[in-house]
Amino acid sequence: MLHTPVSAGDLTQAAPSVDPDHTNHQVLELFTRHKSLPCLPVIEDGVPIGMINRNLFVSQMAKPFHREVFGRKSCIAFMDKTPLVVDAATSVTELSYLAVESGDKALSDGFIVTRDQRYCGIGSATDLMRAITDLTTAKNRQMMESIHYASVIQTSFLRQSAREMEETLDDHVMIWEPRDIVGGDYYYFRRQPDGFFAAVIDCTGHGVPGAFMTLIMASALNQVLESSALDDPAALLSRINRQVKQALGQESRGRQEAHTGTGSDDGMDAAFLYVNQRERTLTFAGANTPLFLLLPDQDEITTLAGDRMGVAYVDTPENHVWTNHRVELPAGSLIWTCSDGIIDQIGAEKGISFGKRRLKEQLLAARDLPLQEQGRRVMRRFTEWQGTSRRRDDVSFMGFRFA
Amino acid sequence: MHTLRLAATSMTPEVDFDFAHHRLSLKGESYPENAQAFYQPLIEALGNYCASLHHTEVTVDVALAYFNSASTKALFSLFGVLNQAGARGNHIVMNWRHDPEDDTILEFGQELADDFVALEVRCMELA
Repeated sequence: MLHTPVSAGDLTQAAPSVDPDHTNHQVLELFTRHKSLPCLPVIEDGVPIGMINRNLFVSQMAKPFHREVFGRKSCIAFMDKTPLVVDAATSVTELSYLAVESGDKALSDGFIVTRDQRYCGIGSATDLMRAITDLTTAKNRQMMESIHYASVIQTSFLRQSAREMEETLDDHVMIWEPRDIVGGDYYYFRRQPDGFFAAVIDCTGHGVPGAFMTLIMASALNQVLESSALDDPAALLSRINRQVKQALGQESRGRQEAHTGTGSDDGMDAAFLYVNQRERTLTFAGANTPLFLLLPDQDEITTLAGDRMGVAYVDTPENHVWTNHRVELPAGSLIWTCSDGIIDQIGAEKGISFGKRRLKEQLLAARDLPLQEQGRRVMRRFTEWQGTSRRRDDVSFMGFRFA
Repeated sequence: MHTLRLAATSMTPEVDFDFAHHRLSLKGESYPENAQAFYQPLIEALGNYCASLHHTEVTVDVALAYFNSASTKALFSLFGVLNQAGARGNHIVMNWRHDPEDDTILEFGQELADDFVALEVRCMELA
């Protein structure tokens, strides 16, 4: 077959047929002559009326006296009167449903193809299965190609942030691993005259719907960041909350639709932070996302928990105010944040979460190493923990050492 | 009232709401593609059940190792229904079970205790 078959007509092969005037003797002769013929369609005045299956027919005729009794009789005696008959225009997909509905019959005998009710030929189940496999493969390839291209788009809008982070911070790491090529995690970094703004964002969902959400959030973020001072992360979260709730039309719909599943209840969890390099301060506001902090003279990592309120969800009040945490940053301070994909990942023998405690142990043990190496160690430990469990979510991890 | 029972799948927890004996249980993991579709019927059934309660002792056993953010929101709605029943004078005990090594799940249980004051949340280590 030169091209992927799309209809029953494409699967049709010319095949010998008989009519009701043929006797069982003649059918037996035909089967003997055409060794590979699995079945014979029976055609009356150009219209198929049944199908004779080789194995059934031969075993019937092998019974004592059957040859003598039925040999000269019409071949309709042993034919199946309800074979699967389809029009040549029937799509391969529809044909496969019909074949499955017909039970084992179509798998062993194949099917008869007609045009304007008139016989054209038969098709085999093997060819049908091959066609279905080819179609699925082609569709799958097409879908994967489009997701891969979506990933090119998603990665390209992270590029500016990656570059600015590179230019601003000597010792830093940014790991971004969507679970399904594209994802709902996303990060943001902008250099400012006196410091920088950074964000790790976890939008609802993963895969393609997650990636859509990152675009909505990115557009809201861009608008808000262009028109606001970046040194007040809590105020930025509030503004984005309002903006996205309006963009998703939650205001007019209210909770009801979202709760009955008809509307979107999407939003984001996020860590927003502003570092003032001149004043050597960090201001952090979190929406269900923690910030980990290790000051040079401390032996333990401090967790700033962030508020337990996501941004832009239906249940989040439009006027919610997030909390700013402000800390002094001595030179050498370490700061990390991550999406819940790391913390909540199930793994180990017991199938329990990686958790903040194990993450912090890793970070503390690697405190003297460059951030890139810290990131590699965290991910190695994380991957070991995950083991054979499925990755549950997108993973993002950001860290830097304050010079 | 009937029992609502659903077997666990790889993406949804086992549900065993034995309304007649006032014992409800959720066990497993929860990250369905559409959490709303999975939890909405549970929330409705629980709402009907809770409406019929009058100064009743109810035990809720929860042993969840993982739930995604959409499931978290749905679980909050579910526990909210129980909390309302608690506020109306029923005694609702939630045994929140976590692996001793699992600080994420333990922390979530502690937060539930803070959020749902009309529930008696008992964080318990899994044996």
